[in-house]
Amino acid sequence: MIVPLSHALILSAILFGLGVFCAVSRRNLIMMVLGIEIMLNSASIAFVAAALRWQNLEGQTFVLFILAVAATEVSVGLAIIVYAFRRTGSFDPGNYNLLK
Amino acid sequence: MAYPTLAALIMATFLPFAAFLLIMIFTRMKPGLSARLSIGSVAVSFVCSVVLLAQNWAAPGPVEYSTQFLASSGLNVQVGFLADQLGLLMLTIVAAICLLVQIYSLGYMAGDPGFSRYYAFMSLFAWAMLSLSVSRSLLQIYVFWELVGLSSYLLIGFWYEKFSASQAGKKAFVMTRAGDVAFFLGIFVVLLNAGNLGVLELNGPTATRMPHEVLTLSALLIFGGIVGKSAQFPLMTWLPDAMEGPTPVSALLHSATMVAAGVFLFARLFPFFSLSPEAMGVFLAIGTISMLLASTMAMVSRDIKRVWAYSTISQLGLMIMGLAAGGYFAGVFHLTTHAGFKALLFLCSGVFIHHFGTNDFYELGRSGSRGLKIPTISIVIAAAALSGVPPLSGYFSKESIMSALAGLSNPMWLLAGLLGVFLTAYYSFRVMFVMFFPKSVEQESGHAHAPDHAGYRAMTGPLVFLATVTVLLGFFEAPIKNFLAGMLVIDLHAPETNWSHIAALVLSIAGLALAWFEFGRRGAEQVGFVEKIPPLYRLFAERWYLDHIYGLFVDRVIDRGISWLCWQNDNKVIDGAIDELAGGTVEGGRISAFLQTVMIQYRLLAIFAVLVFLAFYFFFEKI
Amino acid sequence: MTFLGLLFYILAAVTVAATAVAITRRNMVHAVVYLIVSFFGTAMIFYFFGAPLLAALEVIIYAGAIMVLFLFVVMMVKVDSPGEDLLPARQWIPAAVFGLIYLVIAFLMIFETRGADAPLGLLIASPRDFALYVLQNHWFSIEVISLLLLLALIGALQLGKSQTKPGTGDET
Repeated sequence: MIVPLSHALILSAILFGLGVFCAVSRRNLIMMVLGIEIMLNSASIAFVAAALRWQNLEGQTFVLFILAVAATEVSVGLAIIVYAFRRTGSFDPGNYNLLK
Repeated sequence: MAYPTLAALIMATFLPFAAFLLIMIFTRMKPGLSARLSIGSVAVSFVCSVVLLAQNWAAPGPVEYSTQFLASSGLNVQVGFLADQLGLLMLTIVAAICLLVQIYSLGYMAGDPGFSRYYAFMSLFAWAMLSLSVSRSLLQIYVFWELVGLSSYLLIGFWYEKFSASQAGKKAFVMTRAGDVAFFLGIFVVLLNAGNLGVLELNGPTATRMPHEVLTLSALLIFGGIVGKSAQFPLMTWLPDAMEGPTPVSALLHSATMVAAGVFLFARLFPFFSLSPEAMGVFLAIGTISMLLASTMAMVSRDIKRVWAYSTISQLGLMIMGLAAGGYFAGVFHLTTHAGFKALLFLCSGVFIHHFGTNDFYELGRSGSRGLKIPTISIVIAAAALSGVPPLSGYFSKESIMSALAGLSNPMWLLAGLLGVFLTAYYSFRVMFVMFFPKSVEQESGHAHAPDHAGYRAMTGPLVFLATVTVLLGFFEAPIKNFLAGMLVIDLHAPETNWSHIAALVLSIAGLALAWFEFGRRGAEQVGFVEKIPPLYRLFAERWYLDHIYGLFVDRVIDRGISWLCWQNDNKVIDGAIDELAGGTVEGGRISAFLQTVMIQYRLLAIFAVLVFLAFYFFFEKI
Repeated sequence: MTFLGLLFYILAAVTVAATAVAITRRNMVHAVVYLIVSFFGTAMIFYFFGAPLLAALEVIIYAGAIMVLFLFVVMMVKVDSPGEDLLPARQWIPAAVFGLIYLVIAFLMIFETRGADAPLGLLIASPRDFALYVLQNHWFSIEVISLLLLLALIGALQLGKSQTKPGTGDET
């Protein structure tokens, strides 16, 4: 594989930017969680590339933990979203304004 | 060899916790099953600990199983088991006492509405204490230390319907917490300076790399925790109030678990502490002060449980004196023997209290407490051990503490220790003579004959066992000494032939004789010499006014001093400023209101923006 | 540029394109499907970077479990017509501005870093080596993670259970 580490990092940076963009600008809770998933995924790419660059398995180990945390976060997050949807009938984060 | 040991350690420590969970979740409605679960788990722990002790009897070094919990540059925290000689000895003591107390409670707590809850808390307590004794690092010790505090709070306030009980629970919790804050700060100091919290590392080369002042500071801070937990001088008043709990709880609290945790920690970090002679001097002074204060309080109390509570404080003070004087073995051995005879004292007293329904031992004597044969014999044995009468276990351990004190250059400490021995013998036999040679027995015949039912048998079984241990343990001094000697790099200096032995023996006999003269002999008026001097009596009975001083302190300094200043500040400075600010805020609020819509996405955006600026910062800083 | 390098750039392009398409879909089912494509691309990249086990896990967990969970949720709650105004201006313009600044700084930082332009060698961590490494050095963290998963399970169950109570609404 003859690509420099920097190219992998650029790919990861672009994906991260897309994830943030999705989480911040889509008015839909599910899409926000999707954006967070994209961000976690981009971090994984950076970790794997760094693990290869420095020949150190620590980076890959981190990806394993990211996977587990992502699974946890999605299951609980989606459960909360479904629960919230049942109560308000909307996915729009702007509609959750009971405290206003 | 390694894995069976690990399995035994895990079984010994975690089974009570499993019992706690099972009782809380499943068997709360079935008291019999809860008790069986709890006793069964502790029994298995006990068997495991005995097996471990036997297996490692001749082991050359500590056995440890640990893994990194937190490792960062310069910081290093392990978790795991450290099964060295001290830990295993403590594990066995704790498991044995927990088992006996739980069996005893079958009789004592029978029919209580909170029976299952009681056993659940007992299991929690056992788990915390067992794990504490084989903890690998200070952080782990701290966690279980707090769990011990929590479960003792739950048990002291077990009869929470009673106002005084819940108050006592709170008092115990808050006062020990005051010490724990110091302990926690001490852990931080150690972590920041040594970068390691492992017990072995602190006792080994790591600590010597710390600057001396820092070492003294951290030793003093950690000792703050010991002071709170073991009820030493400034924080001692919670222990007598802790008598509000059920008597078996007091037995557990006072012998092997809660208060012993403090002394255990001292012994655990003994090589670490002994690097700082200044700190050791402070410890010695605090131990001495608490021992003498508590002994004097015990001389005038009429409540049998309180007398034993004060005596616990004074014996713990004696252990700390022994340890601080460099007598590692003396302190640990006294901890061991004390666990036995103090549990015995409380359990016996529990039988009397349960049977006659009063805590006042004058009352107990009048109602004919002599009628209960087994408890009577056992409590006399225990009191004799407490006073240091040969050949009971207390004699041997007190002798070794006295010889450690005699090794110090300043004879003052030895004299204080001897005075303590005298007072101990006096107050414990005061109780004995009043209880068993009362001036008048107003019993209706047949009232006091030993009841013969299962509950009573459950209560007396542990008594017989503990009494046997108390009688025999003293003769195992040499093997235990050899066992403990295996783990220490420091020398166990003990001047062998010394006049302190004879002096201690003479003084304890003198205390006994004085007690006999005032309370025991035919026609004695059963009024102690202290009670004939009213100011002294009031001073002792009011516990040297310590509680008053604390109350006054809280009232004057905190309520009227600091609070008043705060209040003034609040009124004049802050309110004024707030009024000024409020107008501005309303205006500002209008402007920024559009940001404060409840949209979470705007907040996410703000977080992201901050991240971007941080990236800016780091980028340009690097260039 | 070698063959593998070419393959990497193709995969990267596919991944970025699929992600970009995914985050602009109005229909959430489409978004999720595009994202699955993106995760497949990521998994291939993992494989080329010498992490076959992680590539498999990426497919199984990310593209498989997590995305299917999303699909389930999207289909279960069945929003008939998402009245979402796609990308409202007061949100996407600041997001885009900050995102651009971020990307520029990130590129600058990446190119500033020494050693980042050395080509990566070929090295594969076999699943066996990887597993041994993880379980030898991080077994405690694995236990903690397993506890976390258990808690998530309980939490999700609890959240799901509390809505089956009568009176809270329709049950699909």
